[in-house]
Amino acid sequence: MIELWRIAPPRGRIVIALALAVLLALPLAADRYVISVLTLIFYFAYVGQAWNLMMGYAGQLSLGHALYVGVGGYVAALMWLKLGIGPWLGVFAAVAAAAAFGAAIGWLGFRFGIAGVYFALLTIAFAEFTRIGFDHLELTGGAAGLFLPFEEKRIGEWWNLRGGQLLFYYLGLALAAGAALLVALMARSRLGYQWRAVREDETAARALGIDAFAVKMAAVVISSGMTAVGGVFYAFYYNNLFPSQVFEISRSIELILAPIVGGLGTVFGPVIGAFVLTPLGEGLTAVTGRFGINAPGVKAVFYGVVLIVIISAMPSGVWPRLAALFGLKDHAR
Amino acid sequence: MTHQRKAAPTRRRVLAGAAAAGAVAFAPAIVRAQAKSLKIAVLLTRSGYLAPAGQSCHRGALIAPRVLADYGHQVDLVHVDVESNPDVARNQAERVINDGVDVVVGAFDSACTLAIAQVCEQRQAPLVVNIAAAPALTEQGYRFLVRNFPTGSQIAVNGLARIKAFIEATKANPKTAVFLHVNDTFGTAQRQAMDRLLPNAGMPFRVLESIAYDPRAQDLSVEVTKIRALKPDLVLVVTRAADAIKLVRDMVRQRFEPMGIISPGAPGLYDEEFYEALGPLADYHAYAVPWANPKSSMAQALEKAFKPAYPNYRFAVECFNVGFTFEALLVAADGFKRAGTTNGAELMKAIRATNIKEHIMIGGPITFDDKGQNNNVPSAMVQNRNRAPTVVLPAEDATMAPVFPMPPWQGRT
Repeated sequence: MIELWRIAPPRGRIVIALALAVLLALPLAADRYVISVLTLIFYFAYVGQAWNLMMGYAGQLSLGHALYVGVGGYVAALMWLKLGIGPWLGVFAAVAAAAAFGAAIGWLGFRFGIAGVYFALLTIAFAEFTRIGFDHLELTGGAAGLFLPFEEKRIGEWWNLRGGQLLFYYLGLALAAGAALLVALMARSRLGYQWRAVREDETAARALGIDAFAVKMAAVVISSGMTAVGGVFYAFYYNNLFPSQVFEISRSIELILAPIVGGLGTVFGPVIGAFVLTPLGEGLTAVTGRFGINAPGVKAVFYGVVLIVIISAMPSGVWPRLAALFGLKDHAR
Repeated sequence: MTHQRKAAPTRRRVLAGAAAAGAVAFAPAIVRAQAKSLKIAVLLTRSGYLAPAGQSCHRGALIAPRVLADYGHQVDLVHVDVESNPDVARNQAERVINDGVDVVVGAFDSACTLAIAQVCEQRQAPLVVNIAAAPALTEQGYRFLVRNFPTGSQIAVNGLARIKAFIEATKANPKTAVFLHVNDTFGTAQRQAMDRLLPNAGMPFRVLESIAYDPRAQDLSVEVTKIRALKPDLVLVVTRAADAIKLVRDMVRQRFEPMGIISPGAPGLYDEEFYEALGPLADYHAYAVPWANPKSSMAQALEKAFKPAYPNYRFAVECFNVGFTFEALLVAADGFKRAGTTNGAELMKAIRATNIKEHIMIGGPITFDDKGQNNNVPSAMVQNRNRAPTVVLPAEDATMAPVFPMPPWQGRT
């Protein structure tokens, strides 16, 4: 970590330190709405970072990452509800369960040479049949959902993640910052370089002696485990889980947008993407409301247009362009 | 022309001016406390996968202020689309409360409503749930929430009781039934409820088989062939609009004529496209759902306002969403009238003490139990007659007598 800080350019160090300081102090000045939006930004930055590891670095396209959010959330929630085990411990079981799902998908895909869009289809299929399974699973409340008790008197029990807005704000910030740091470290590790070698040309990587199967498996297992932590956050923040909500493909799409817009295969891409997209959605709601544009779906149209513009103008994402602008081009990745 | 000398600024005048300026500066707080109009945010799923229902509710919200004004309630509405997404619902709830709304109404979807409920609880802003069936909403001890809508299990229990009454009222004698349902989340939940409740519901018929189907199937000929082979007297269905059309078409095509097609509480059989696609074949199917009371003067007033505002929609078809959304606004406005303040805690206390006898939907007065649940929302038996949903039970609210068994497919006009 110290090495990472040392190699960062001075301008980069200042920006990171300043951004962290501002975000740490922001609740002193910001209102609840801003904090709520920022919490969501941190969540998307975190899960986006987990997906970025698998797609951005290892080049394996998953369109079913909502599966791991759902599995993580359900496992931790069930452990708390049925066994009285708090989320700080439950998160380990959640990570293990999601990683097992990830390993199963990875093994099936990589062992039998399912790659590219076919691998993406496999991930969607797993998410879909898990959703259907949870729809029928009595233990989890089936399609009618699983609910975590929300009691005003328990607010403050941080050990059970029964907190107010600030608890989730700082937890989200810690997760987003921690994930960025972890990805930065991994990207510079031997495994990180192997991921990129496999991503660029798997045959060439094999020729160099890289065990592509093991490298890709590591990516999917780490990514699914990380995503499960996001699922635990989601479950305890919203206090309810419906299979139709958490496993939906639209959820998977939602969580990959930030890294795509921010910059795939970059450490800051998912963070910047989340900071662009979530406020964009909120801003469009406010603007359409202010101008009395009451047609449903109009925001989605504007949102889509803005996304098209961003992706057309910056095909490799917002962060690489920003990095070039601030003279951090060599450090964009 | 006379010249008046300008008064020189004395200390008294300056003090009076300062006092006036202070009054103006602090006016918002005073006005807020003694406001004549209640500011309500209506959060609905107007886009996303629940958009059709959210938009239908929205139509009810748009015409509500005028009708409420006729009943002596002044409300000022802020309309927000939560995009069928709990993330958006939560953020927007925070935003509208920041912007100074006094009450929140919404949100059709249970997941979105739960997200809003947590914000309202922490901000001490009353939330009146228009439509959302998850029992957890009123089982988790929220102090700033009331729900004027039955829970999922209440809908199932009330629905089965009404189907039983429907069969008794027509003196028909169906011995067997097949339960056909969509395999989506809603259909699966209904199936689970039916499996749990049917054995003890004392129904005169026995369910031969439950058959799940994919609502996106091109046709339902295989399912209909299967049902036909079982020869049930009755077909119980949980459908969506498009597949309900396919179901009837395949039944007609295969000349399968059960005594009736009855839904224990699901859309599909009363959607506009169902009537448009099937014409006379849409008639006589029945469904047990909470419904607007055609004999209520307030429902008639709401319909009168609805017609010119939405010439392309029929109140009879939309009254479920429109009616419950209007009633939620009525509950908030009535609470405000009694509380005389927009202070969250006091307003909530008044809302909890609601007792509205004259309202839109069939059922007893709108009251809330200790948990904030209105338990006086029964299911009505509604039957398609002359291509319109028509209340046939309970008898005191019915505009037509129930018909069962249904007439044959052939010869309908």
